[in-house]
Amino acid sequence: MADPVITVVDLRKTFAFGFLRRKVQAVRGLTFDVRPGEIFGFVGPNGAGKTTTIKMLMGLIFPTAGTCMLLGKRVPDLGAKRRVGFLPETPYFYEHLTGRELVDFAGRLFDLPASVRRPRTEKLLDLVGLTGAASLPLRKYSKGMLQRLGLAQALINDPEVVVLDEPMSGLDPIGRKEIRDLIGSLRSEGKTVFFSSHILSDVELLCDRCAIIVRGEIRDVGPLAQLLSPKLLHTEVVLDRAGAPEERRLTPGEDVDAFLRAAIDGGAKVVSVTPRKEHLEDLFVREVEADQARQ
Amino acid sequence: MNRIFAIALNTFREAMRDKLLYAILIFACLLILSAWGIGQLSMHEELRITKDVGLGGISVFGVILAIFAGVNLVYKEIERKTLYAFIPKPIHRWQFVLGKYLGLVLTLTAQVALMSVVLWITMAVQGWSPDGVMVRAVLLLYVQVLLVTAIAVFFSTFSTPYLSGLFTAGIFIIGRSTPDLRALILARFKDSPSTASALNWAIQVLPDLHLFFVSGGLVNGVPASIHAGSYVSWAYVAGATGYGLGYSACVLALAIFLFSRRDFV
Ligand SMILES: Nc1ncnc2c1ncn2[C@@H]1O[C@H](COP(=O)(O)OP(=O)(O)O)[C@@H](O)[C@H]1O
Ligand SMILES: [Mg+2]
Repeated sequence: MADPVITVVDLRKTFAFGFLRRKVQAVRGLTFDVRPGEIFGFVGPNGAGKTTTIKMLMGLIFPTAGTCMLLGKRVPDLGAKRRVGFLPETPYFYEHLTGRELVDFAGRLFDLPASVRRPRTEKLLDLVGLTGAASLPLRKYSKGMLQRLGLAQALINDPEVVVLDEPMSGLDPIGRKEIRDLIGSLRSEGKTVFFSSHILSDVELLCDRCAIIVRGEIRDVGPLAQLLSPKLLHTEVVLDRAGAPEERRLTPGEDVDAFLRAAIDGGAKVVSVTPRKEHLEDLFVREVEADQARQ
Repeated sequence: MNRIFAIALNTFREAMRDKLLYAILIFACLLILSAWGIGQLSMHEELRITKDVGLGGISVFGVILAIFAGVNLVYKEIERKTLYAFIPKPIHRWQFVLGKYLGLVLTLTAQVALMSVVLWITMAVQGWSPDGVMVRAVLLLYVQVLLVTAIAVFFSTFSTPYLSGLFTAGIFIIGRSTPDLRALILARFKDSPSTASALNWAIQVLPDLHLFFVSGGLVNGVPASIHAGSYVSWAYVAGATGYGLGYSACVLALAIFLFSRRDFV
């Protein structure tokens, strides 16, 4: 298998805060890796330690223990940074700049010549739908616009790896779909995408693999299909008995065929039969509940 | 190098779009111009007063602008989280700090230059014929501004603007009065030479800003004045500039050291 793009080994971060230097273990020994070309979801409830982990990967904060590597190099490494794009959580940018100036500034930090920077800036502004607002100062941008501008500046170096912290937060459903499509198109360009989210449907729709993080610990890593137990929860049957709808949940042990035959013989119409397997949502709830039970 | 320049340019651009800085600058220029009016009240002393008020104005407002912008320079980036997107770019942290500092230097250079031009025009109208004395005087004040900026930036890497401002202003005031303080220490601690030498050592570590505002005092036992034609030599200015730039470099190195180790939470 190709070398991992991101490697995290037993990563830990303890914050000391406040006057009494109270300690918070935000990340408690994470180990996972992200492989080339995959979309990797980093999911967990708020406060799980996603942003803290990503900040360590991006060299914004230093690990208390453990290592993180980007493209085979220990963080921070200038060569690796050159090939990475990053969108911070709820990004903030210089308010005195316009959208276009900001993306251009990002390009200058990669030392891109103007001949590359200019057309790429316009292309990216167009890609995120900000061409019309490109000359507005950023203080006039909405949260969603800043989020999209954040994506544009993250892609200015045509990165191999894209790290996105909550890329869908602050967006309306249409905006969310646009970002999802964009992440999908990054994959088809062969880029590796690592993104965090607390919104499960985003992860389910996009990811090849994901890691579930709760209270600073990883509960599971793998392809979604494996994380979700393949076991059937129940089968939902909706019948129409002479105009009156009836819903039945059959437990996995029950014989669905026999039930349906009996229902049809009894004069009912079958409206729908849905086998309900576990969703990421269920898994999430299960993990968080298990964690609370342990407290 | 290109990246440091990009950061410097962005910092300069930010300052150029800051209305408050303009307000302070306009106020400073008005003050210098007002020296003219004050001068009119005193017979035959117009030029003298313009020089004193003008240089004083450049000194005070240069330092105010330096402290004001310096204490915010790095702090604002952390506080507003604007650096989250840029620290992960392929730059070293030292390049970031250096770029920010150079951007501010660029801004302050423009501001000091503007104030000087206003002063020179005022003096020229009053019949002053250009000489090297005023250039040397302004150059010294400019180096002082660079030094104060470095100190403000140093504090702003780990402290709030308010505290950084207080610390920097404190160092400025102490630094401006080193000879007086030395004399005071000598008089007060005659009986405990160890305390006196400890205090003297502390003063030695703080910047000697007195070097940069010499008019009206003694330099190496010789009176120096911008009026009497016995002002400090170019050699003196070169020495003081070397001291100022060297001191700034040390302070900046310390700022970079602290900035490179800190978490951006
Ligand atoms: N600077 C900080 N000081 C103290 N605690 C912090 C700090 N930053 C984050 N934390 C704590 O660390 C935990 C993880 O936070 P975070 O990584 O932001 O979570 P997520 O991004 O998954 O929502 C939270 O409990 C949070 O309160
Ligand atoms: Mg977060």
